[in-house]
Amino acid sequence: MTIRLFKAATVLLAMSSTAVLADTRLQGAGSTFVNPMMQRWVSEYQVQHGDTKIDYESTGSGGGVKAFLDKTVDFAASDAPLNKKELVKAGGAEKIIEFPVIAGGVVPAYNLPGVNTEVKFSGPVLADIFLGKIAKWNDPQIAALNPGVNLPDSTITPAWRTDGSGTTFIFTSFLSTQSTDYKSNVGAGKQVKWPAGTGGKGNEGVAAVVEQTVGGIGYIEQAYADENHITYGSVQNKAGQFVKSSPDSISKASEVAAHEMQGNLLVANLWNQNGQDVYPIAGFTYTFIYKDMNNIKSQEQAQALVNFLAWATHDGQKFAPDMHYAALSENARTQISQAMSMLTYGGNALHPSDQK
Amino acid sequence: MSSSGKRLLQANEDQVDAAKSVANSEAGAVRLRQGGFNGDFVLSYAARASAIIVLLMLAVLMIVLFHSALPSIKLFGWRFLVTSDWRPNELDRPIVGADGKPVLDEDGAVQIETVPPSFGALPVIFGTIVSSSIALVCAVPLSFGAALFLVRIAPRALVGPVSFMIEFLAAVPSLAYGIWGLFVLCPFLQGHLEPLLKQVFSHIPGLSWMFYQRLESGRWVPIALTGRDMLAGGLVLGIMILPIITAVSRDVLRAVPRTQLEATVALGATWWESCVEMLKYSRSGLFGAVMLGLARAAGETMAVTMVIGNNSQIKASIFAAAQSMSSLLANEFAEATTDEHRAALIEVALILLIMSLAFNVVARSLVVGKTARSAAGH
Repeated sequence: MTIRLFKAATVLLAMSSTAVLADTRLQGAGSTFVNPMMQRWVSEYQVQHGDTKIDYESTGSGGGVKAFLDKTVDFAASDAPLNKKELVKAGGAEKIIEFPVIAGGVVPAYNLPGVNTEVKFSGPVLADIFLGKIAKWNDPQIAALNPGVNLPDSTITPAWRTDGSGTTFIFTSFLSTQSTDYKSNVGAGKQVKWPAGTGGKGNEGVAAVVEQTVGGIGYIEQAYADENHITYGSVQNKAGQFVKSSPDSISKASEVAAHEMQGNLLVANLWNQNGQDVYPIAGFTYTFIYKDMNNIKSQEQAQALVNFLAWATHDGQKFAPDMHYAALSENARTQISQAMSMLTYGGNALHPSDQK
Repeated sequence: MSSSGKRLLQANEDQVDAAKSVANSEAGAVRLRQGGFNGDFVLSYAARASAIIVLLMLAVLMIVLFHSALPSIKLFGWRFLVTSDWRPNELDRPIVGADGKPVLDEDGAVQIETVPPSFGALPVIFGTIVSSSIALVCAVPLSFGAALFLVRIAPRALVGPVSFMIEFLAAVPSLAYGIWGLFVLCPFLQGHLEPLLKQVFSHIPGLSWMFYQRLESGRWVPIALTGRDMLAGGLVLGIMILPIITAVSRDVLRAVPRTQLEATVALGATWWESCVEMLKYSRSGLFGAVMLGLARAAGETMAVTMVIGNNSQIKASIFAAAQSMSSLLANEFAEATTDEHRAALIEVALILLIMSLAFNVVARSLVVGKTARSAAGH
C-alpha cells in the first residue's frame, strides 16, 4: 500500500515539475500601491499570451527592492526610485533601467458633517494641519481659502498611515516642498514621525479614522477614496489653481514631469509640478530591471518580460482610468521605449517584439 | 477488563492479522517481520532527533535574529533601549548657529545639515508593558473567578460545557478579535465610554491630565478620543488571555489536596475563608498562570495592531494612541528599506523574544513545580 502511494506521489511530482518547465514563469515583487493595476495587467496580458506566466507579489516596496538587489525576482516595483546606496548595491546606476509604470494621486479626505461644498486646501495649510499648528476647522487660514463656506468650530484630527507606504512618501514629499518648518521637523519618507494626530494601518485604517472622527482629515490614495466614495477636497497647485485629483489632472502632471526624465533612470518628482490643471499631490510607481538581463534563466524569458513591460507601459495604460489610476503621458511612454531599447541578454540586444 | 478495552484488543488483533496477510503476500515479508524488532531502535532515535530539532530551531532563531540585529546593536548600543525617538527617515534642516539664526555659506544660502534616522525602542517597550498590564488587570480577576467557580461551585454537569466554552475562546483566531475590536469595541469606546469617563473624571482636580496631551511645541491640547488607544489595546488583549489564565489556574486549583481543604473546614473556616486558603496555597501556581497570560499578551500582534492606534509615543494617558513591539513590527517591516531600519526592527523582535522567553521560563517553573508537588502529595 505504502509503496503504491509512493509511486503515485513520484509520478505526480514528476508531472508537476515538467509543467513548471514548460511555462515561461516570471517573478515580480514590490509596491502594494500598484498591485491592483499589476494584477489587471497580468490577467489581461495572459488572455493573449497564455504561455507567459507572471507572478507579482505585493510584498511592499521595501521587500521588492531587497528581492531585486538579491536577484531573487526578475523585476520589482517601488513607489520611490532607488536611492544612491541601492544603486551602488545594484552594481551602479548604469547597470539597471528604471521607469514609471503608472501614476496615482493622494487626496485629503475629511469628515465635516453639514459642509456640503468641496473644501479647498493649499500646501502650506495642509502642512500646518499635519504639524498640529492649525487645530480648528474655522481657522482663518482655512477660511481664507474657502470663502462662503460655513466651517465648523470643531477640532481637526489629522490621520496618517502607520505602516510604511508609498502614499506617505508622496504626501510627505509634497508637504516638504510647501513648508520649511515641516521639512526640517517631520521630513519626507515612507514613514515619518508625525507630531500630531492619530494613525491608521493602510488606506482602510486611515479612512476608518476619518469616517469615525468628526473633524478628521487624512491622506488616502485616490483609487481607494473613489472606490469607497470618501469625500475629499481640492488642493492648490503651483499655478495657483484649486484642482481635484483625477486620472486626467495627474496624467497632465506626468506630461510635465516627463520633460525632466532622461537616459536609463527615468525618474522625476510628480508632486508639485508646474502647469495648468495639474494636481499637485501625486507620484509615480517605478519598475526596475537589470539592463543586461542575464539574471533571468533564459533569453526567451527575458524577452517575455520585456514584451510584458512594454505592453503594460503602452497599450496596457488604457486600463488605468478604469482602476482609478492615472495613465502615463504620451511623452513619458516614448522615453520608456527608448530606455527599453538599451536592454540586452548576455550582450544580445532585446527589443520588445510586439506592443499590441 | 472493560468492554471497550476488549474491543480495542480485538481491533489490534485484526490489524496484526491484516498486516500479516499483507506481509505474506508481498515480497518484503522478511523486512516487515523484522520491523517489530527495529521499531524500538528507530522510534527512540526519531524521538531524540525530534527533540533536538525543536531545540535547534529555537537556537537558530536566536542566532539569526541576533546576527541580523547586530548592526543596530553596534550602532545604537544601550541608547536603543532608553531613547524614545523613532524616526526612520532622514531630515534636512537648516543649521542653526549659536545666535539662533540659520548659518549661511559664502553665497548667502542657508546651510543644510542632514539628520540621520533615529531609533529608540522605549515607546514600544512601554506600549507592550502598559497594554499587557491593562490586559492583566482586566483578565486576572475574571479568570480566577471563573476557575474558582469551575472547581468549587459548578455542578458536575456544568464543568464540562463551561470549560469547553472558555477554552474555545482561545481557539478564535486573533484576527477575529481584531475585527471585533475595530468595529465594535473602538466605536463603543469612542462614542460612549470615553466621553462618559471624560465628563466624570476631567472635572476632578488632578485627573484632567488624562485627557490632555502636550505637543512638541509645548501647547496642551485635548486628546482626540478615537477609541483606538492604549485602553482598547489592553481590553482586547485582556479578552484574549482570559482563556489561558482560566484554564491553567483551574488546573492549579484542582491540584490542591483535598485534605488541605478538609483541614480548613475542620478548623472552622467559612466557605469564603476556605477559598482564600485555597488561593493562598496555590499562589505560586496562579502567579505562573498570570505569567503565561502575560507572555501571550506581549507577543500578540494582529488584534493589537488593529486597535492600539499605532503611534510610537510615550503618553501618560491611556486614551492616547500607543504602539507595542509586535504592532511596530507588523506596521513597519514590509516597507523598511534602509539597513538600519531593518536591523532596528529585528532588534525589537529579539527583545520581544527574550522577554517572552523569560516570562515563559518563570511561569513554567512556578506552575510545573506546584502541580508536581501537589500530585506527589496525593
